[in-house]
Amino acid sequence: MRIVNPTFGLAAAAGETVTLKPVNWKTDAIALFSNSKPNARELLDGIRAKLGAFRPVDNIDFVAKNSASQGAPKELIEKVAANYRGALLAIAD
Amino acid sequence: MKDTADQEVIDIGDLDVEAFNEFAAEQGWSDGMPLYVPTEAKVAAFVERVRGDNRPFPPVPPRQVVPTLQSLAANAVMAGCKPEYFPAVTAALRGVLDPAYNLHGTLATTHSCAPMVMVSGPARHELGINCGSNCFGQGWRANATIGRALGLMLLNIAGAKPGEMDRSTQGNPAKFTFCFGENEEENPWTPYHVQRGFAAGDSVVTVMSGEGPHNLNDHGSTSGIGLLTTFAGGMATPGANTIYGKGPMFVIIGPEHAATLKRDGFTIESIRQELFARSRVHASRISAENQETYISTGHKPDGDWFAIARSPEDIHITVAGGPGKHSAFIPSFGGTTVACVRIAP
Repeated sequence: MRIVNPTFGLAAAAGETVTLKPVNWKTDAIALFSNSKPNARELLDGIRAKLGAFRPVDNIDFVAKNSASQGAPKELIEKVAANYRGALLAIAD
Repeated sequence: MKDTADQEVIDIGDLDVEAFNEFAAEQGWSDGMPLYVPTEAKVAAFVERVRGDNRPFPPVPPRQVVPTLQSLAANAVMAGCKPEYFPAVTAALRGVLDPAYNLHGTLATTHSCAPMVMVSGPARHELGINCGSNCFGQGWRANATIGRALGLMLLNIAGAKPGEMDRSTQGNPAKFTFCFGENEEENPWTPYHVQRGFAAGDSVVTVMSGEGPHNLNDHGSTSGIGLLTTFAGGMATPGANTIYGKGPMFVIIGPEHAATLKRDGFTIESIRQELFARSRVHASRISAENQETYISTGHKPDGDWFAIARSPEDIHITVAGGPGKHSAFIPSFGGTTVACVRIAP
């Protein structure tokens, strides 16, 4: 018996591939990116404290989406990409 | 779950219906209830029904594949739809693909939201969609299978597999199906699709990512203002996403309640205003931790009261159901919209 595959779909055009640059976690500017859930901030606070123990410069910033239920706007992602060498994303609930 | 490299048509050998259902369950295609077999012939009959709507579908998030009419129809067949339901199902899919609906967020969230599907206009009667007694419940093939078909598409095309991409903490029975018709005949105001700018003769599907209906029981109030006191009290809940998500919501008024409100001079606009003003949650009902979070994310109280909506326009109102003193409140996921799509003739 021949059936139609209910999961069939054509692959969408692939996104642009970017080359990752190495991050110096001791000195580079880092964004701690929250999904805007309360517990994400808790996790990021802990990471900031750990990083602060061995980093000589204070160039770590918290960044958050406008809404916990919606994706980060493109402008925010571009801003993080432009201003930080590394980003840590917390998706805690 | 099969990936995009799969064939559109699969030869599954000589399986009977029971064996097909075992096979489909193994593939992850099932919502847990029995499925019809999506044979090529059945699928072709469904596809024939949407020849008048040849707009391409965009990639469906989160899986980001572009479905074919055949693969969409396979889900509608499996759900138990009749071929004539298929244009309503594809309209519902187009609705949830509105970027403002936030399909990825609504499918991946831990919230219990499910796609509410409301049908307006002549298609309600042409397809046999229940708009009256028990309209949110069982017993009507069109209601049961149109909503189910959309759910199967979100599982099989969008990839919202429970426990994997669909991360809902507890889920919701409405995820099996949540489809009903407006009771336009007993709506003393304007049908919802006309409120949204469509012609009364258009058939329109409206979708919102919502919780199941919360009952608003009021047998005692004999005045419109009395009913709105009950409605506002039922809507003022600190446990719904709308307390901080600040998105849309529906109030589906039962015909008897609607008649009382109309008699007392209320319009849809004045009902919205009244409910927006009164369906607020007092700070004493919200924990200190949550208040801190809400305020820090821009949801500041008005004095000691937290609003459940951004404006009266977030409160969408229509009439459905049959005899009895009940209405319903359907809060949304929050970060979503109410999308309307005309069913292609």
